[in-house]
Amino acid sequence: MKSSIPLWQRSSVRIVGALVLLILLGGAVGGIYYTQIPPEQPIPFPHNFHIGVGAQCSYCHTGAATGPNAGLPTTDKCWGCHQQIEPRNDNLKLVASYGSEGKQIPWVPVAIQPDFVVFSHQPHINAELTCETCHGDVARMTVAEPQKGQNMGWCLDCHQKMSTPEEFVLLSDCATCHY
Amino acid sequence: MTELLAKEAQDEKWGMVIDLDICSGCQACVTACSMENNIPFVGEDEMAYGRGMQWMRIRRYWEGEYPEVTPDHQPMLCQQCGSAPCEPVCPVFATLHSEVEKINLQVYNRCIGTRYCANNCPYHARTFNWFDYEIPAPMNSYLNPDVTVRRRGVMEKCTFCVQRIVKGRQQASAEGREIEDGDVTPACAQACPTDAITFGNLSDPESRVSKMVRSDRAYKELENLGTEPRVTYLKGGKSYGG
Repeated sequence: MKSSIPLWQRSSVRIVGALVLLILLGGAVGGIYYTQIPPEQPIPFPHNFHIGVGAQCSYCHTGAATGPNAGLPTTDKCWGCHQQIEPRNDNLKLVASYGSEGKQIPWVPVAIQPDFVVFSHQPHINAELTCETCHGDVARMTVAEPQKGQNMGWCLDCHQKMSTPEEFVLLSDCATCHY
Repeated sequence: MTELLAKEAQDEKWGMVIDLDICSGCQACVTACSMENNIPFVGEDEMAYGRGMQWMRIRRYWEGEYPEVTPDHQPMLCQQCGSAPCEPVCPVFATLHSEVEKINLQVYNRCIGTRYCANNCPYHARTFNWFDYEIPAPMNSYLNPDVTVRRRGVMEKCTFCVQRIVKGRQQASAEGREIEDGDVTPACAQACPTDAITFGNLSDPESRVSKMVRSDRAYKELENLGTEPRVTYLKGGKSYGG
């Protein structure tokens, strides 16, 4: 028997359609959510405490002034100080276990760029930018948090503000970041 | 206006000179280019279908009558035309002229793969990623971190090793000086065992390339098309490889 109800009015079609929309929407919301929250780190590293006791950013992220990547510290760097610190709590015990076994701590990078963007720290540090300009107020963070809205418009806005129109020709050139 | 023109002349206008008289056709430049720029290996079958991926290729000709034939080699790469036929046909501005480097750029994340540019290129210098090619181990560990790994559906071509140009300029500026002749060497020029490839700044009359461009042996490929190629070939009496 041929049904007289048009296809789009059938309840089954509508339910399936709504489900598909819901799944797509859920996926999109989830995708956006998971890129905006700090990823789980092997040790919840307290940036605020380390900056509070006087450590400079470049003490652990050594490459920023000289190369493209600022880099994440090796276990040796942590162990250099932590060897002399009594492991009072669980996190310090984790550091001690990594350090005494000489295993690398699998830190999860937070500030990452897409594959088709080439970023180098060196020219930005040479231009006397502070780390906080892009990475947020790390002195108040425990684990590093991803910063919102760091897209191409954000890069170009800053390039335009910080440069003369002649310099902006270079700073807005595609080949400066994409190759 | 005169100030602008003066500024224009100071800007780097990158150019290359290839001396065909000392090119032996050894393909070291082709290999070095593939390694530097993460160019995938397409395999024999794909190569036979004409989907080979090389930003640089050696064109081989035979000179003379059999049996007295001698091979003649010409490395062919993107000529970085000053007036490039590939640029106006791109609907999404994925291939465009760099104001600063004065070379043709390919912006991979903009490219939608219409392939108009490759069809309009008189030098057949562009290659297209027809598939996501797997790079066999251990070569997948050798990828150059300075260069994007392109995916399927993206056009690509020689960039004059723009990653090395950018690095050279950053290095020079970190040392507080202007970029000098010899600061930037593309992978092909670096690998050439006979030093047939020279790279440098054409707007500096004292640079090595500028001196070589003024040679009597200099010619440009398909110059009559008005593409203003930035690659100059030198060809006179053959003295090597024959």
